[in-house]
Amino acid sequence: MIGIEDCLSEAMSIPGALGAILVDHTSGMAVAGKGVPDPGRAAAGLSEAYRATLDGIAMASQETGFRIEDVIVTTGTSYHLVRPMEMMFDGPLLLCLRLDVERSNLALARRRLRTITDELVAS
Amino acid sequence: MAAPTLDTVLTGLAQDEATGSLRVGKEGTVYYARGRVAYVECAATPGVEELIGASGRISANGMRRARQEAGPGGGGALLVDRGVLSRGELEFCVLSATLDAAFFLLAPRTIRTRFKEGDAHWLGVHWFFDVAGLLRECARRRARLERAWPSAELDARPVTPLRRIPGTHALLTRLQWELLLAADSTATPADLARRLGRPAYSTLLAVRELAAAGLVAAGGMAALPKRAPKPAAPPAPQRAGSGGLPQVNGDAADVNLLLRLRDALEAL
Repeated sequence: MIGIEDCLSEAMSIPGALGAILVDHTSGMAVAGKGVPDPGRAAAGLSEAYRATLDGIAMASQETGFRIEDVIVTTGTSYHLVRPMEMMFDGPLLLCLRLDVERSNLALARRRLRTITDELVAS
Repeated sequence: MAAPTLDTVLTGLAQDEATGSLRVGKEGTVYYARGRVAYVECAATPGVEELIGASGRISANGMRRARQEAGPGGGGALLVDRGVLSRGELEFCVLSATLDAAFFLLAPRTIRTRFKEGDAHWLGVHWFFDVAGLLRECARRRARLERAWPSAELDARPVTPLRRIPGTHALLTRLQWELLLAADSTATPADLARRLGRPAYSTLLAVRELAAAGLVAAGGMAALPKRAPKPAAPPAPQRAGSGGLPQVNGDAADVNLLLRLRDALEAL
C-alpha cells in the first residue's frame, strides 16, 4: 500500500520520466509534484486541459456515462500522460506524467501508471 | 490595542513552530504540528469523519468505536489497518477536508482565538500545509469561484433547479447531477454538501457553475412568491468580460436637462 508521496516517486521511476504532478481536478490545485518547475501553473493548466477533454469527448461520443482511462498528448519532445483516479467522495485526482519521447516506452508507461494508481486507492 | 487579525495569529504560530490546536471563534479548529497545519475543521463543512462515513465504508457507530479504541493521534492508522480506506485515500481525505474547512474558516478577519498546547486530532497527522501556502490556496479558490460565476447571491440560498432549461440539451458533471437531484428548493449549498457527503467548496463551485449555465434559478427569482409579476426578462448573467458597450443608464429627462443647462451656460 502506498501514499501520495510514494505514488509520485514511483511515477518518476518509470523510464524516461521528466516530471510528475498530482492535481485535484475540482479545484485545480497542485497536491504534490516532482520535477515540475511551477506546480501551481502546471496544475491549473492540466486541470483545464482535462476538463476540456471531458467536455469535448462527451459531446463527440454517443456513450452516456463514459469514463476516461487516460489522456495522452504527444509533443515534439515529450509525452504527457494524464490518469484520473476516482476518490471516495471527491475528485478525480489526476496523476500527470511527462515523459521524454526519445527515452520512454508509451505502452509500458501507461501500464505502470495504471498499476501505481490502483495501488494508491486500494486498501 | 486592536486584536490581531486571524492571519497574524496563524503566521505567528507557524513561526513559533507550535504544536497544538487553535480554536477559531466557535466555528472551528486549526491543528498545528511543529508549525505546520495538519488539519482544519469547521462547523460549516463536512469533516473527514463525515466524508468517510458518507462513502458507506464505515458506519457512524463504527467510527465512534474506532475513535475510542485508538490512542491519541492513532485513529487514522487504525482505520487504514482495518481496511476501511487506503493510506492514499486517507491522505487525500485529510487534505480535502482541511482545504475545505480552511476556505470557510480562515477568511481574513479578526476573531477570538484560543491556543491549546500539545493538543492533536484523533486521526493523527497525515498531510501538512505550510500556513502561507494554505492561505494562498484559499485565495486561489476564491478567485476560481468568481471566475465560475461572479456573484455570491446563490451561496447561502436554497438551490432551485429550473423546471425547463433554456437550451435543448445540457452537459453535467457527476456532482452537478447529484446536486440537481438532491436540490429541493429548501436546502442551501452547505446543506446539500452535508447530505451528499461532498466538500462544501466543491458543492458551492458546482452551484455557481450551474448558475452560469442557466440551470438553477438566480437573480432573486427563487425567493419570490409564485404569483408575483414576472420580471420582463431574466436578469442577464453577469459574465466576466461580456465585452459589450458600456452600460448607459441615461434617462431622456436627464439629457434634456443637461442640454438646457449647456445652452444656458453658452448664453452667458
